[in-house]
Amino acid sequence: MIYFHQVNKYYGDFHVLKDINLTINQGEVVVIIGPSGSGKSTLVRCINRLETISSGELIVDGVKVNDKGVNINELRRNIGMVFQHFNLYPHMTVLQNITLAPRKVLGMSEKEANEIAMYYLEKVGIPDKANAYPSALSGGQQQRVAIARGLAMKPKIMLFDEPTSALDPETIGEVLDVMKQLAKEGMTMVVVTHEMGFAREVADRIVFMDQGRILEEAPPEEFFAAPKEERARVFLSRILNH
Amino acid sequence: MLRFSILVEHWDLYMQGFGHTIKASVLALIGSLALGTIIAIFRIAPIRPLNWVGTAYVEFIRNIPLVLIVFVFFMGLPAVGIRFDSFTAGTLGLMVYTAAFIAEAIRSGIQAVPKGQMEAARSSGLTYLQAMRYVILPQAVKIVIPPLGNQFINLVKNSSVLGVIAGLDLMYYGDLISSKTFVTFDVYIFVALFYLVLTIPLSLGVGYLERRLLKAR
Ligand SMILES: Nc1ncnc2c1ncn2[C@@H]1O[C@H](COP(=O)(O)OP(=O)(O)O)[C@@H](O)[C@H]1O
Ligand SMILES: [Mg+2]
Repeated sequence: MIYFHQVNKYYGDFHVLKDINLTINQGEVVVIIGPSGSGKSTLVRCINRLETISSGELIVDGVKVNDKGVNINELRRNIGMVFQHFNLYPHMTVLQNITLAPRKVLGMSEKEANEIAMYYLEKVGIPDKANAYPSALSGGQQQRVAIARGLAMKPKIMLFDEPTSALDPETIGEVLDVMKQLAKEGMTMVVVTHEMGFAREVADRIVFMDQGRILEEAPPEEFFAAPKEERARVFLSRILNH
Repeated sequence: MLRFSILVEHWDLYMQGFGHTIKASVLALIGSLALGTIIAIFRIAPIRPLNWVGTAYVEFIRNIPLVLIVFVFFMGLPAVGIRFDSFTAGTLGLMVYTAAFIAEAIRSGIQAVPKGQMEAARSSGLTYLQAMRYVILPQAVKIVIPPLGNQFINLVKNSSVLGVIAGLDLMYYGDLISSKTFVTFDVYIFVALFYLVLTIPLSLGVGYLERRLLKAR
């Protein structure tokens, strides 16, 4: 489903991704962890070409993402993305936020799009907020709307870049619950997070990054019991003991 | 005590000037809004040569005095065979000048919309133009309206530059009345009042819109 082969990326002189090799299969949940600045966001953002790679090969859903002739909008409609800061559209209601892409990209009628939006709002547990504006919602609710917005396009892949990092502790759980449910239903998910409980419980694989490299890749039971890499050990002990 | 007799006796002349000031302001406003929008799009479009043209325009125009630009239209262009009457030359100069400021207001409004908005829109599969139209511009408009309003107020005041080239505006007629009556203070106080009749409602309107937009956030 997602295939990185010897991928490198530079920001000017700065080598942000180094020889990335990573395969993610359909239905897999891969959690990416690592210290801040290690390139986790950049890696995830390459998948839907919010960032372009400098060299190597990146294939997503059978498409070479950086090929010249690629219709990027076509590819992106199959990849949902959830951001740390939600990025809901503040001038639109929750319902309008969710229906914009289905209507304008997929050409759905307003009625059909509304029905789908309500279905996913039920799913994330806030159908009563359909006509509210984002500013009237808590962080956890906003993030759940953002997830519903992604799902409404019926994507094959969902990307999450630190979806709970901007949330108050008491609303983190409600967002993680939605994500767990999604994982259970077989969604292909790439998740950058510092929530080790979630990683341990939900991930099929943990990918540990440091300074632009993937240093370790292992199933969670293995990784958390005994990380092979010294830097992964240091990282884990720091994050679990604070 | 202000001599209202001057106002009454020269009412027709004041009205002439007032009318021309309004006309120059409205025409320059429409023109500079259109030209300014185009320049703003030049500056942000993902096309390098357009960026250069837009930047050159803004930096060049807003860094020279308005009165010089008006002189170019009034005396520079006739030298190469293009002739305008003083009112037209003044209005064109005003438009060209104000467009640079309006372009900057519009550009910074668009760029003030957080980067994540474009990213969210594009990653859902919307095209660049769709994202602009449905996500970025509706938010930018709210940001742009207050600075645009201030530019319009400046525009009205700056229209007094027409007086320098006998452009038939309020300032010009003020000079005329003053030279006829040998009165300065009273004559120009009335001129100032006419400007205030235009700018104060504009200023209040801008303030009102600003408050409403803040609330709508
Ligand atoms: N647009 C950019 N230009 C230059 N450097 C960047 C840019 N985006 C990120 N970086 C740098 O790349 C490195 C990796 O960033 P990022 O992928 O955001 O890391 P992480 O998500 O793991 O914290 C950081 O050192 C960051 O400063
Ligand atoms: Mg990050």
